[in-house]
Parts: sequence; C-alpha cells; structure tokens
Amino acid sequence: MSLLTDVKNMSNAQKLRTFPGNRIVWHAVIVGVVWLLLLLLNNNIDPLYSSYLALVAMYATAMFGMTILVGLSGQVSLGNGALMAVGGYVFALTSMNWQTVPIFGWEWNAVWSMVFAGLGGILIGGIVGGLAARLKGPYLAGLTLGLAVGVPAITNRFPELLGGENGLMLTVPYPAGGYAASEIAAGTESGAETSDPNSDAGSDTGAAAGEDQYAELDLSEFDQGVDASTDPNATLASEDLLTEGDLLTLDDFSNGGDLGLESADPVVEPSVDPSVDAGVDTGVDPSGITDSFDGGFIIEQWQASMAIAVACLVAFAALNLIRGRQGRVWKAVRDDPIAAAVVGISPSGSKVSAFVVSSLFAALAGAVFAQILSFVGPGAFGLGLSLSLLVGIVLGGRSSLLGAILGALIIVWLPELVNGLSGERGWPDQITNNAPNLLYGLLVVAVVLAAPGGITGTVRSWIDRARGKSRSPLS
Amino acid sequence: MTNFIDFLLGGFSSGAVIALMALALVMVWRSTRMVNFAQVGQAMFTTYIALTVQQSTGNWLLALAVAMVAGLILGIVVFFLVIRPVKNSDTTGAIIATFGVLIALQAGAGMIWGGDPEGFIPPVSNAGLEFAGRIWPVSLYDILVWIVTAALVIGLTLLFTKTSLGLSMRASAFNPEVARLSGVRVNRMLITGWAIAGATGAVGGVLIAPVSTISPNSFDILLVFAFTAAVIGGLDSLIGAVTFGIGTGLVISLVSGYTDASNAPVVALALLALNLLLKPDGVFSHHGSRSV
Amino acid sequence: MKYVLPLTHPLLALENISITLSGLKILDDVSIGVPEGAVTGLIGPNGAGKTTVFNIMSGFLTPDEGNVRFDGKKLKHIKTHHLTKLGISRTLQGVGLFASLTALENVMLGGSSRIKSGIFADSLGAPWADSAQNKLRGEALEVMTEFGIADAADRYPGELPYPVQKRVAIARSLISDPKVLLLDEPAGGISAADMAELGRMIRSWTPERTVLLVEHHMELVMEVCDLIWVLDAGKVIASGTPEQVRTNPAVLAAYLGTEVDA
Repeated sequence: MSLLTDVKNMSNAQKLRTFPGNRIVWHAVIVGVVWLLLLLLNNNIDPLYSSYLALVAMYATAMFGMTILVGLSGQVSLGNGALMAVGGYVFALTSMNWQTVPIFGWEWNAVWSMVFAGLGGILIGGIVGGLAARLKGPYLAGLTLGLAVGVPAITNRFPELLGGENGLMLTVPYPAGGYAASEIAAGTESGAETSDPNSDAGSDTGAAAGEDQYAELDLSEFDQGVDASTDPNATLASEDLLTEGDLLTLDDFSNGGDLGLESADPVVEPSVDPSVDAGVDTGVDPSGITDSFDGGFIIEQWQASMAIAVACLVAFAALNLIRGRQGRVWKAVRDDPIAAAVVGISPSGSKVSAFVVSSLFAALAGAVFAQILSFVGPGAFGLGLSLSLLVGIVLGGRSSLLGAILGALIIVWLPELVNGLSGERGWPDQITNNAPNLLYGLLVVAVVLAAPGGITGTVRSWIDRARGKSRSPLS
Repeated sequence: MTNFIDFLLGGFSSGAVIALMALALVMVWRSTRMVNFAQVGQAMFTTYIALTVQQSTGNWLLALAVAMVAGLILGIVVFFLVIRPVKNSDTTGAIIATFGVLIALQAGAGMIWGGDPEGFIPPVSNAGLEFAGRIWPVSLYDILVWIVTAALVIGLTLLFTKTSLGLSMRASAFNPEVARLSGVRVNRMLITGWAIAGATGAVGGVLIAPVSTISPNSFDILLVFAFTAAVIGGLDSLIGAVTFGIGTGLVISLVSGYTDASNAPVVALALLALNLLLKPDGVFSHHGSRSV
Repeated sequence: MKYVLPLTHPLLALENISITLSGLKILDDVSIGVPEGAVTGLIGPNGAGKTTVFNIMSGFLTPDEGNVRFDGKKLKHIKTHHLTKLGISRTLQGVGLFASLTALENVMLGGSSRIKSGIFADSLGAPWADSAQNKLRGEALEVMTEFGIADAADRYPGELPYPVQKRVAIARSLISDPKVLLLDEPAGGISAADMAELGRMIRSWTPERTVLLVEHHMELVMEVCDLIWVLDAGKVIASGTPEQVRTNPAVLAAYLGTEVDA
C-alpha cells in the first residue's frame, strides 16, 4: 500500500484544499485578482460583450447558490428562480417606495435595496428551507417546482403593488442615491428626471464598483438603449410567442407565467389572456444596445461592473463556506446523514443553512437581474429561469464554483452560438429559438448518465486519475 | 349557491385530467420509485401528435388512439434511454435527468410544431348544455371527458386487480426481490409501468387540449397540480391519485371562480406545502414513515 | 477490575426498555448498565437485539417503554446530533465515513460539536473561525498520528484499505473527547493482527473513557471486556465477567448451533 506520502511534503495546493488555514487571504487574493481582470476586460471590450458579461456574472451569482444547494447539500431545487424573483421584486419595491428615507444617516441607494433584497431572500429561503429539510429528493423537487410556478403567479394577486403580469419598470439608476420605478401600465417610465449628481459615490461595498457612475447616467437614454421593447404593445404579436417553448435564451424570459390549464374551466373565463404573458419582452437584446453616454459612460459597462462586483463578493463568501467547515458539513450530510448526526451535525440544520445561503445568493442575483433588465415581471423569473440554473450547474459541474461559472457561460453563450449559426445557415426561427433548449435537455441527460460531475468534475477526475487518486465524481 | 355548484361542476373535467396525470406519476413511482417530472412533457408531445392526426384526418378517436400508442412508446423510450441507465447511480441525478427530458421534449415540440398556442377542436360541442331553463357549466365534451376518464380508471383498476399482469406489477412494486424470486420478470414490469403511465398521460393531454390551448409549455402548471394530487394521495396509491386529482380540480375551479384563475398555482403550492408539512407520506400511502 | 451486579451507579444505563418494530417485540424489558471507566461488551446471536440497543442509545429509535439514563439523568427524546455534546460518541457498523471528504476532514468533523464558528463567521473567513479550525486540524493530525494513519490524511476513504478506514472512523469518534464510546462491531472485516491491536487500543482508553462494545468476535470481547451482557431474542439472558459468561449454560445454549469463536 502506497500511502506513505509525507503529510509535510504535500504541495501547497493540496494544503490549501485540505487545510483551510489563512484561507481568507488566499480567497481574497483569488477573488480580487479575478475581479480586477474582469474589470479590465469589461473596460476594453465592445459594449455588446459587456452585456454578456453582466448576464454571465448574474447567472454565476445565482449558480454559486446552486453549487451549495444542489452540489454540496444534495437538494435538487427548482425554486431558485422564484427566489431570484423575491430579490428582484424587493429591490424594485424598496428602490421605488423608500428611496427618500435614509438609514442610519446613509442615503438610500442601490446598495440598501440590495441589502433588503438579500434579507428577503434569507427570510423566504429560511421558510422554504425549513419545509424542504423535511423532504427527500422528489418531494423537494416537486415542492420547489410549485414554488417556481406559484411565486410568479403571486404577482397577479397584488397587481397594485407588484404590477401583475406587466411587472414593474425600474427607472434605474436614480442619480440622487436611489432608484425610481413606475408601472408600465401607468406609462410613466420616462417620467422621472435626472437630478443632481449623487454624493455617495463609491462609498459602499455592495455595488461599489459601479456606484460612482450612477451620477452620469441619463434615464431616458437608458430606457431606449437597453430595451426599446418594454412597451407591451410593441411586441405583443411578434415572434416572442414563437419562443414560448424557449426556456433560456436571452431574448425571451417571458414564458414562465403561462397558465394553460385555467381555461379548462368552461364557466370561468380565463382572466389572463394567454398572449398577454408573452407581451412584455423583458429580455436584454444585446444587438440593440451600443449607445454610449455623454461622458463616455456606457450603460452595459456599468451593468457588467455592478454584476461582477456582486458576483465576486458572493464568490468570496461561497469560497470561504465551501472550503471551510461548513462545506464539509454540507458534504457530510449529503454523503451520509446518519453518520453526520452521529458526529454531532444536525442534518436538517445543515440542509436549511444550505437553502438559506443559496436563497441569499439567488436574491442578490435577482436584484442584479432587475437592474440589468430595468424591469421585474413574472415572465422574467419563471420556471424557465429556474430550469436554466439547474441546467447550468449540472453541465458546468454540480459541486464546484468553477462549474457554476462555466455553467453561467454556457447558459449565456450557447443561445448566441445558435443564433450565429442560424444567421449563417438561415435556419427558420422555430429551429433557432428551440435549438438551445433541445441541446440543454439532451446535454443534461447525457451528463447525468455519462459524466455526473459535469465539466469540472470530469476534468478533475482525469487529473486525479493521473495522480493516482480516486474519489467520487460529485465530491 | 348556484355559483358554487357551477364552479364545482366546472371543476370535474380539469379534475379528471389532473387525476389522469397524477395516475401516470403514481404508476411511474410504483414501478421505479421516482417522480417522472417529464411526464407532462411526454403528454404534451403526444398531444401534438394527436393534433397533427386530427388536423389531417379529422378523426378524434383515431387521434386519441395514436396519442395513446405514442405515449406508450415514449414511456418505453424514456425508460430505456434515460431511466434505466441512471437509476442506480444517484437519486439527485435521476431527478435532474427527468427535467432534462422535459426541457428537450418542450424544445423538440417547439421545433416541430412552433411555439404558438394552438387550439384542438373537440369532437363534440364544448358549449354549456341547456337544461331546466338554464345553461349549465357542463358541455357534451365534459361528459365525454368524464366517460373516457372513468373508462380508463376502471380499465386500469381491472388490470391491476384482476389480471396476472397486474398482480405481477403490484408484486414488483411492493417487493421486487420477492417478486423476482417468485419468477416475476421485474424489469419487464417496470417497463410496463412506464409504458402504461405514458399512455395514461397521453389521454390526459388529449382530453385537456380542447378546453385549454396546446403549446410546448402549456402543461407546466398541470405538472404542479398533478404532483400535488399524487403526493397528497400518497404517491403510490392509485385511488389516492384519482381522488385527490379530482379534488384538486374542484379546489382550483372554486378558487378560480371565486377569486382569480391566476391564484390556482398559489393554492396548489399551499396545498402541497401544507400536506408535506402535516402528512409527508400522503393520505393513502401504503408504506410507513420514511427512515431517518 | 471486577464489577458486582447489579451496578450501583452505572454511567450509562437502559432501564426496562421494551420496543416493538413492525409487530415484532425486539427488546423485552431489557436493563443494561455500563460502569464508568470500564469496557463493557454486549453480545448475543444474530437478531438478539444488540443493534437495537445501540440505536435506542443513539436516538435512532424511541423505546415504547423504559428509559435511557446517562450520568444519573434520564435522557428523553434523544437527538442523535446532540449526543457528542453530552459526551457520547458512536461508531457505525462498517465505517460510515464521508466518501467525498478526505480522511483528515472526516476526523475533523468528529470534533464538530466542540467548534462553534457560526456560518456567518465562516462565510467571511473570520480569523477566529480559521484558528478554531486550525486547532482542530492539529488535534486531528495528532490523533491520526497516534493511530498510525497520518499518511492517509489527504486520501479519500475510497482509496484507503479497509482496516485504515476503520481506524479513521475510530479516530473520528475519539476526537470529540467523549466520556462514552459506543463501538458497533469495530472488528468487522479486519485481520487477526489488526484485531489484537484494536484490543490494545480499546484497553488503553480506560479508565479515562467508558466503552460499550457490540461485537461478534468472541475472542476480542473476552479479551478486552470487564463486564459482558448477553442478549438473546430481546432479553438479557446472562451477565458478568468474561469467565462467568463463558461458562454460563444459558449462553452456551443460546449460541448452540451458531459459531462461537472463543
């Protein structure tokens, strides 16, 4: 037996992995370097690519939570899209309603709204997680599936507050340290005016990277630039309906609110016209946004830097958790809940904590998403979003943060690849719009069957094999 | 009160369809101890096939029959390509795989038939019947839905209780080891379970299509309702699936009638959560509480 | 050390425990005492109810009647994950190691109950959370060195030979510094030489720790135990020193037809 590798002679990499000593320094360095590189990248690429970068960072933020929940803790959840909705709506509502109220003398701004979005995620995540910890695999997946379908529907319950099917417009960002939002229905999204430059530039941690640029942001330009089609009437009859079946492409996040069964009742007329939910094109249409602002300020770059800031902070926390005690606790409960209990770990406590952490990350991602879209609506946070998170994490690698990043890249890049190919080959829309999802579905099945560790798990198992080690692909 | 009765009557058809989908989920659960989250995706796909048949031949019965056969085949295909290879590796993977199938089926249907919601012409009138001086929320088509559902449920009951095939299937579900020792070809029974589930779901899809519309995603919500019904029923009880399927349909009809149809998913979610909290093993479950 | 029955102040005791599982009476009015600082054995033919005793002590099962008493106090509604805090540590049949954690990480988790860095401090990588972990890591390595398995620290359980895995599991249960160790078939699947080593190891823990041992291998039981309880068909049929038990006719009758290693 060749176990005689001296512990003291282990490489630094091994020590870092096995021993979390001084991890905060390491993790801060790793995250800091990545952050800097991404900012450099962001400032030197075409705004079109910045908008992709923003989306990748947003998805990665949410998927870090999936790494912990699905990968480490072994709970399959489809509810994280709904938890993103919680974050997005809390962000929208707090930025809209309380923007004038300072907290502890600090002006209300996007950072406060992000904090409240995160708290909202923790609260809802705690409630759902408490229930979820009692449930095993398929029950949990079914419950969270209900969450993914049910939560967006709640917006219809409170049309006044939440804007119903049409959602809420965010008139982002509001220079005086806050955001204004107005309902689409009211048609006032261009009503808010730019006011004095904000005074708290860069003073906070949350979205600090982009904070100082709020001041230069012109509102009406933003609306034009990011999404000219937020007017429901503009796209109602367009090809968005064709992409109903399309879960994941950039161009359409509007499929989630479909309530097909309600018209099964012959007496009660369906109150929601099936076509309405496809009416609001919430997607970012990258091809249309290349406008820059007066002072050379580019909205896509701001969005990307904000999304990157959040993703990096979340990644830092996730790294600390995964590579510290808590990560071991989650894996232990996933591997063997009884043995975990015997060594003094509460299995249900561990499951709830995974749920809460992933909810927090999801809510923050939702808040970022709301700012990228300058909109929150049930269609944007539907089942499709939840499924895309699951697809991304499975393809990238269930149990590693790198897998989450790869998954986010795949989710954003694959539809664009298909679009590009489609442009070259002249495929009909029907094919183009569905090809990414077909690929996702088939790839997910293939990965589960042939390489359950996803990309990172598989690569790592090759490396392990080369080094003569062996471990479970999901570890 | 008239309203109440109307809403109740109106709920029976959707309840019947939910019951069929829940039945399909239960049959899969009984055979392989997993929830097939692709079940309504399969039903959606076969309903599109039925739609194509009906559009070209105009024959509803033929469309229904083709859908059933297609559902049967699709169930077997999914079982062989996805479920059997994954079954023993990890439960997390198995759940994810069925979602993969769902996504692929929805995208495939979108590719073939497009994403536009399409109508499905009912074989008989879908208008409320006039009787005793008023129009009732029950159409000829509703009656057809009830008859087909009842026939299918009775057929399945007979299959499970009166035939040797049904006995073997129950034995395999209850205790695969003992069944295998008694000469039952357990694997074949698992396939049969998936096949019958596929066909049952297919019938549900064809029945719901004329009163709903059909699009690749339009059955998503049906999955939530059916799962709710199946879980409340105990996930391994056929009677439970039918009872609570219809019950869910009635509740949803009442909720939709008195408040708003968009509340239905929220109510289903609340029912599901409440049930999982209070009685995680369902009302009609045969097995005891789950182990630690 | 000789123990006179009945014990006056057992550290851990089952008092008149009865339990029925799926219609079968598994334990019928069983009372067992574990004296402090000694090695106590629990033996019996297959199906006698030994594992059920352990499962009741570890909170997996709740008895229909009777109490578990620890250190004089009744334990009601035992929560498994609170046991290590009380000072009771248990090994599982087989090894029960976490497959996706290294041997060292497995051992470190054994000290979970002693480390209280919250998830918040953990997520920020707070220095105190780190230093607590570093201390635990040092202790874990120490224990592993003592057990001669320090080389395996960075390996995953799947790559370790079975006897090494067994040692990792025992190291994991020891690092919580328990008063009582419940060992569930520690000798299962290991060689005679390893078993002798295991025996010495168990003896070396006393009298600081108290051990309750469920074991099939009579050789080991007879060698290390101060006191032995014999269960058959859910009842205590004998108890006493190894010598007393070995010559007890009821024990011989119970084991008749089954393999007796001694």
